[in-house]
Amino acid sequence: MALFLEEGSPVIVQGMTGHQGMTHTARMLAAGTNIVGGVNPRKAGSVASFTFARNQLHTADIPIYATCGEAREATGAKASVVFVPPKFAKEAIVEAIEASIGLIVVVTEGIPVADTAYCVELALEHGIRIVGPNCPGLMTLPEHSNEFGVNLGIIPDGIVGRGPLGLVSKSGTLTYQMMDELKDIGFTACLGVGGDPIVGTTLLEALQQFEQDRATEGVMMIGEIGGNAEQDAAQWAKDHMTKPVVAYIAGFTAPEGKQMGHAGAIVSGGKGTAQDKREALEAVGIPVGNTPARAADLMREALNDRRR
Amino acid sequence: MDLYEYQARELLSEQGINAPEGVYARTTDEAVEAAERIGYPCVVKAQVRIGHRGQAGGVKLAGNRDEVRACAQQILPMTISGHEVNGVLIAEAKNVLHEYYVSISLDRSSRDFDVLATANGGTEVEEIAREHPESVKRLHISALEDFNLEAARRMAQSIGFYHADIDQAAEVLLRMWRCFKTNDATLVEINPLAKVGEPDDEASKSLSALDAKISLDDNAAFRHDGWKRFASAATANPLERRAKEHGLHYVHLDGQVGVIGNGAGLVMSSLDAVHGAGVAQGTGAAPANFLDIGGGASAEVMSESLSIVLSDPQVKSVFINIYGGITACDQVAEGICSAMDKLNASKPIVVRFDGNAAVEGLEILKALDNPNLVVRSTMEEAAEEAARLAYAGKEGK
Repeated sequence: MALFLEEGSPVIVQGMTGHQGMTHTARMLAAGTNIVGGVNPRKAGSVASFTFARNQLHTADIPIYATCGEAREATGAKASVVFVPPKFAKEAIVEAIEASIGLIVVVTEGIPVADTAYCVELALEHGIRIVGPNCPGLMTLPEHSNEFGVNLGIIPDGIVGRGPLGLVSKSGTLTYQMMDELKDIGFTACLGVGGDPIVGTTLLEALQQFEQDRATEGVMMIGEIGGNAEQDAAQWAKDHMTKPVVAYIAGFTAPEGKQMGHAGAIVSGGKGTAQDKREALEAVGIPVGNTPARAADLMREALNDRRR
Repeated sequence: MDLYEYQARELLSEQGINAPEGVYARTTDEAVEAAERIGYPCVVKAQVRIGHRGQAGGVKLAGNRDEVRACAQQILPMTISGHEVNGVLIAEAKNVLHEYYVSISLDRSSRDFDVLATANGGTEVEEIAREHPESVKRLHISALEDFNLEAARRMAQSIGFYHADIDQAAEVLLRMWRCFKTNDATLVEINPLAKVGEPDDEASKSLSALDAKISLDDNAAFRHDGWKRFASAATANPLERRAKEHGLHYVHLDGQVGVIGNGAGLVMSSLDAVHGAGVAQGTGAAPANFLDIGGGASAEVMSESLSIVLSDPQVKSVFINIYGGITACDQVAEGICSAMDKLNASKPIVVRFDGNAAVEGLEILKALDNPNLVVRSTMEEAAEEAARLAYAGKEGK
């Protein structure tokens, strides 16, 4: 499935030359992503060299540009993956928006929420999609085994193969855990929306994408404490979703007022509890598993029911 | 990070928002000294980061020196809803004519900022919203826009501030907005914003912030010198402080099973699994902490994490749950071995590895051949075993 980006589209990486950027650019290349440039004003004009295995061993020398505008001009980039540190992230994202890069996947954790709010609002005005921040990004799995999907971000390739499920999650490792639990079935696409209080793409918008995609037959949604993105998704699903949705929610034992790792994972003023989310989901007929394994079983059952 | 009231007052006063005179005191003697300076009657208020402290007896009016001493002695050692009282605020008592509620907060759903206000202040806003939903007014401020005096005036009018108060209320709203923006806050709440003064003397009347709550965005600490001046609000627990020094996400909890994992979601899920096992086994075993080693953790990070968790006397067993995405399980295994060597740990440790380098990681653990180290193949089984072992030790003694 094409999730916000056609397979094979040119992609740039902002913050490519840092440790994280280098590691994950090599991984993304190996997964078949068409990475055509990096952005770093201090290293403009140089190339970053990568060696990676994709069927056989490849090498790639990827040019580094001073700005997103230059990179876009030279490469026609349609998406950017951002690994820029929190202090400089707002500037980097604004630059990508102003260069009209249609999809911006922000992996960076620790961006001030006021900066994120600004970037998300600006992106909306420009008709540009942000995924994240503080997210593992997205991957799509190709329909035919001789093709490649898209891998933007840090989701490990090779856990899972193509199948009829969509996956959307607020958490990175729980995404991988769930991919593993359901590897017997496989996925069309996996999307990590991120664990910050404000994110560019919500759980609800992910459901909309999967509902539209013909190859997706069911959706696994992983939520966690904080905010009410799960409740919003549940309300939308009730009126619009024709495909089965199964959910897992983390954080039933989280105490009030304590941030559980993710900036957005906090119960405050008695709001945003896992129990509230479970009730909202179950009220619209979305089953919620007690553990990831149980949620995976519920997904298998839902898929069998649909196919019967 | 949630600030204490006395710290929130500091930020409001920097923006020129009026509040009754107040002094923060950590001991009974300091409280008495402060009251002597402020005069009587005064209010003795528990400094605690949780609501409903008034109902819990954390706010008292004192008419003289002896009463202040008695109140402070009573309030200082209190724990309110599990939160230890951290000093008292001695504040000038005001004659209250009316109570408003005003707040500015981050709105996660609409992804902008929310100004919320009502003329029925005083109690918690959730209660106001339940009892008088029509009286609560809300205004959204886009992240690309600003709030100005004109908008603040319209807001003040729509809330139902008394005509005489509108100009002043608009000014307060605007100053709150500046406080919110300049400090990277996620919440600035004044409740009550009170009209104080003598009923028959118009000149004596003014709006005053009788109580305030401010939360700051931890991610923005780099713009504010790490919030050093509010360090007392950040890390009360010594284990939390130590973890923070190592850049680890750690939250101390009440149970017996130490929990370590990679990724916030997976660790939360692990806590739930331990709790579920404790319920199923009838022991009430529960997680002792949340500890996320993050993505791509090194052996050193794992070793330090395990040392922190094992140094908690509350911990009877440890559950380590790793799904290797970027994190490599062999690195984690090396870290576990080095911590167990160093600490000569006698508490049982249950490990579940999956994903990246899990096979290699399990071989390293096997080679260690330590009877305290148990391996389980799924997260659920490992959580059950860790919960069981936390109580197995007790029966043996």
